[in-house]
Amino acid sequence: MSWSELSLGPGTWLLAVLGGGLLGMDAVSWPQVMVSRPLVSATVGGWLMGNPVAGMLVGAVLEVYALRHPPFGAAKYPDTGPAGLVAGASYAASGGAAMGALLLSVALGWALGWIGAVTVHVRRRLNERIMSPAGELAADPGLLEQRHRVAIWLDGLRGAILVAAFLVPSMLVVTLVVGTGPSSLGRYAVASLVLGLAASAGAAGRSSAFGVRGWPLILVGAGLGLLLILGGLT
Amino acid sequence: MKPLRSDHFAAWSRTFAVQGSWNYTTMVGTGVAYALLPLLRRIYAGDPVRLRESVERSMRPFNGHPYLCAMAVAALGRLEQDEVDPATIDKFRLALRGPLGTVGDRAVWGQWRPVCALVGIMAFLLGASPGWSVAGFLVLYNVGHIAVRAWAYITGWQAGLEVGRLLNGAWLERWAEKIWPLNILLTGAVTLLLAAAVVEQAALSLAPAALLGIGVVGALLAFRFPRQGGRLATVLLVIAPLLWLVGGLVG
Repeated sequence: MSWSELSLGPGTWLLAVLGGGLLGMDAVSWPQVMVSRPLVSATVGGWLMGNPVAGMLVGAVLEVYALRHPPFGAAKYPDTGPAGLVAGASYAASGGAAMGALLLSVALGWALGWIGAVTVHVRRRLNERIMSPAGELAADPGLLEQRHRVAIWLDGLRGAILVAAFLVPSMLVVTLVVGTGPSSLGRYAVASLVLGLAASAGAAGRSSAFGVRGWPLILVGAGLGLLLILGGLT
Repeated sequence: MKPLRSDHFAAWSRTFAVQGSWNYTTMVGTGVAYALLPLLRRIYAGDPVRLRESVERSMRPFNGHPYLCAMAVAALGRLEQDEVDPATIDKFRLALRGPLGTVGDRAVWGQWRPVCALVGIMAFLLGASPGWSVAGFLVLYNVGHIAVRAWAYITGWQAGLEVGRLLNGAWLERWAEKIWPLNILLTGAVTLLLAAAVVEQAALSLAPAALLGIGVVGALLAFRFPRQGGRLATVLLVIAPLLWLVGGLVG
């Protein structure tokens, strides 16, 4: 796969941008049905490029990473909707088979998730202006409804802009890596991702556990996974 | 005037957008006012002054888990209908903020969402198509999501001022305390299956036993020291493609 073989029609690009808008809205503004989770958004990205399996593999890795960032209280967390779509689409567009492309897609998706988090912060500041002055809005409930809806649409616009800005560059960069075959460092690169997944799962497990007493369950779970593999069920 | 069933449905459906105008000043306050409007318009029909006063009250700072905000919206609507004095309503809002956030965060974000996502990933890794795996996750998750929103709204309207007391030890909290072992079990199983899928995709000669051993130790250390473990995970995620690229360049 090279740049010359890469194809992205205007219709697909537009669909991705519109999808980015919906996914951007879902996480916080409306309707919070969790299509913004990387598991879904990356699969949608892969599906847009004709390879949902590749998209879902990226989404699964990003999801395990995202699990350790529950939006408790004022915690910061990555905006995984548009980011997942871009990452899943990039890996799928690159052919969905090269290891280097998978590693880069996941890293780019994670980075874009945090860029998205910054835009969420900016949008919240903007909402302060949109939803004021309070007295004026209270006096005219119709205006309150209108401004609230504008704020939701702006969140959608934020997601759409993220996809519009990053989809093509990300696809180009990931496709460039496809030609880079495995080297002596290849095994360390894969091991690095695997260990990263394990560390992320451990940290995520702790955030959902009620105290430290749940650690043996991680081992039991891993043992169950091992049994499924040895039993040929994967 | 008493709100109609259609007003309740409109208010409930607006709770799906309760965080739409979330900001650092009022947090979800303006969203609560937006969701309450169908009820307030009916309760204060023909009395614009009292409607304005109640909207102003509703817009004040508030926070809580977005799904359980349906409970706050319904309970506040009930208090407005029962003509409870504004000072009591303000105290009630303040008292409700903590429990609504804690219970919702622990049960929904902490348990239900991860469990559903892990079930979806596991289905995929065990051979289900991406479409079925994603659909399974979305259906499973949203059955719980919509049930919680409906329960919250109905309970809020029925209980009014008593909602705070009902939240203490509510089924949602008890349920969260029961489901967490399943969550951790699934996290362990899915991570191992996913790591195996990644290694298989790589088609490189790796030492699977050594990788498994280091992975298990890494997961346990991250469980004990989650902040450091999380940082290490991010560093490893960034290093992985860099190693691949550098290796490819130097040959």
